[in-house]
Amino acid sequence: MGLMDSLMAGLSLVGNVEAFLALGLGVLIGVIGGAIPGMSATMAVALTLPFTFAMQPITGILLLLGVYKGGIFGGSIPAILIKTPGTPASSATVLDGYPLAEKGLAGKALGMALWASCTADLISNLALILFAGWLASFALSFGPPEFFTLILFSLTIIAGVSGDSLLRGALSALLGLLLATIGLDLVYGTNRFTFSDPNLMGGLNFIAVLIGLFAIPEILSMVWNPRAHEGQTRSLGDNWVTIKEYLASFKSIVRGSLIGVFLGSIPGIGAAPSAFLSYSEARRKSPNRANFGKGELEGVAASEAGNNGVAGATLIPLLALGVPGDVITAIIMGAFMIHGLQPGPMMFIINVDIIYGLFIGLIVSSVFLFFIGSVAIRAFKFVADIPRGVLFPAVMILCVYGVFAVNNNLFDVGVMFAMGWVGFFFLRFQIPAAPFLIAFILGPLLEDNFRQAMLMSGSSPLILFRGPITWVFWSLTAITVIAIARAGWKAARRRGTPA
Amino acid sequence: MPERRLHLQLGIGAVLVAALLLFWAIPTWVSSPSNVRNIVLSPLFWPNTLAALTALIGLSLIATALRLPRAEKAASDVHDRPQAVARLVGAAVVMVVTFWALPRLGLVWTAMLAFAALAFLVKTRHPGWALGSAVLVPLLLYLFFAKVAGVAIPQGEFIRLP
Repeated sequence: MGLMDSLMAGLSLVGNVEAFLALGLGVLIGVIGGAIPGMSATMAVALTLPFTFAMQPITGILLLLGVYKGGIFGGSIPAILIKTPGTPASSATVLDGYPLAEKGLAGKALGMALWASCTADLISNLALILFAGWLASFALSFGPPEFFTLILFSLTIIAGVSGDSLLRGALSALLGLLLATIGLDLVYGTNRFTFSDPNLMGGLNFIAVLIGLFAIPEILSMVWNPRAHEGQTRSLGDNWVTIKEYLASFKSIVRGSLIGVFLGSIPGIGAAPSAFLSYSEARRKSPNRANFGKGELEGVAASEAGNNGVAGATLIPLLALGVPGDVITAIIMGAFMIHGLQPGPMMFIINVDIIYGLFIGLIVSSVFLFFIGSVAIRAFKFVADIPRGVLFPAVMILCVYGVFAVNNNLFDVGVMFAMGWVGFFFLRFQIPAAPFLIAFILGPLLEDNFRQAMLMSGSSPLILFRGPITWVFWSLTAITVIAIARAGWKAARRRGTPA
Repeated sequence: MPERRLHLQLGIGAVLVAALLLFWAIPTWVSSPSNVRNIVLSPLFWPNTLAALTALIGLSLIATALRLPRAEKAASDVHDRPQAVARLVGAAVVMVVTFWALPRLGLVWTAMLAFAALAFLVKTRHPGWALGSAVLVPLLLYLFFAKVAGVAIPQGEFIRLP
């Protein structure tokens, strides 16, 4: 199928009111979810997921992508107005956003955040369109050994960068891999940790695990400390960002977007490191570097470009290789699977209409983000005023309904509650939850490809080194492990403590 | 929590989990056909590998903790620690009762009770709003999931909704 045919096929899928409404609604839900301290883009996507079951696959996935993009921007609103990042990705925005708000320039900071977010989002989407197809065609030549080494590489990155302790990240990923072994064995069909319960034979439900891990711990945190996340909201002020100010920060925005695209396309890194890297690069190159951290508009632009630049690029490994780029794309991957779609290189052949439909929808989402974001900035006060004592019980009920609706199975509700306590334990012991979830998703793929490779080779491990692709991934894995260990060791030395 | 205590507790926990897996859970709850000739193809291989790696990470955490300096006790993140623990126990009870009541009372009625219980557990400053929402939110969700998405919402043994 040629490019034009693919585009037309995609357009026929998304060229209807329902798809655009879903996208717009998704951006709105995302902005609200991201703007509520205590919620996050991840939680907003996880909570929206059950509502997509009744929709057409493309409509449901567009809704989730809208929530993702809206959520990443929405996090910057409380970061600027109440010094509380709505999502971890917005942490860098606090550095200059809040000092600007203190000076009465919150409107200017939020305006710049919006412009930078939309620009980065557009650049990121274009990168996805340009690179995903190319990478997918390359990945078509992958066999089980290549996929095994690729997933192993993805796991090393996840374990290393999702927290400030390599060991805690690795522990989290290992626990996720262990949880993924529950169910019938992939090759022999024998029981593994099923405890003679038929509910466990198919393994744990992915949605129950992810909602339990990302939504319930926030509810338990609120139970632990009901007065957290309460802050003084700053007024917007009279000033709004001008074209001149936008153009003055344009270089930093483009640089931050490209940093976001690069880091987002590597599975596991995510938006927060990208925002900080973009911010530090902007500070290094800016003539106003002395003003960074004290209320520099370019700092807000750089950090917002960095985190939104990731949003489209994280879909590159998801769509091209079937490997989620971050925890939100891991949830979106679940939505694909629920609708009977398997992200990966074959999708570019079997479901090319859906792929191009998503591309079109993503481009439109940048426009929606601009308009909905502008309104949301002004409406933030109402969002911030939602009483926590009403909001979080509602979230729990939403979780119960959503998890039940996946398989019409009450057992899944129990799994969600249990995972909620695991997630709360993770929160208290500073274990990052993202490696756990991604390892839980990638675990069966890792094992399956490993065992298929062993079956192919008569159990000779040499097959895992059979060609240049496997060597590239082994080398990347080794380089990453060394780099993470070195960075951890250096950071520990700076702090005067071991890694 | 101070870093040293955190790493020590996590390390001991990881080693215990690994030991539990290697010596009890895997031998008892992972079955492998007797004719599997190669260890790497056995259903036992992967769980054993992961349990061993967990033990290794646990030992590394303990080793790291022992190299850390002893720190002052960190301040709690809540001012009412005993009440906070009591609230957590309350939340656990709400979850257990919810799970137990779901097939008996039905999803909607259980959700209403769970909503109200959780709102009052955190001493909401808006009890009127909380009670109103406790009735409305589960009903609206029921309407969406049962009537729009076509999900068979459990109705329970007592009062059934249309």
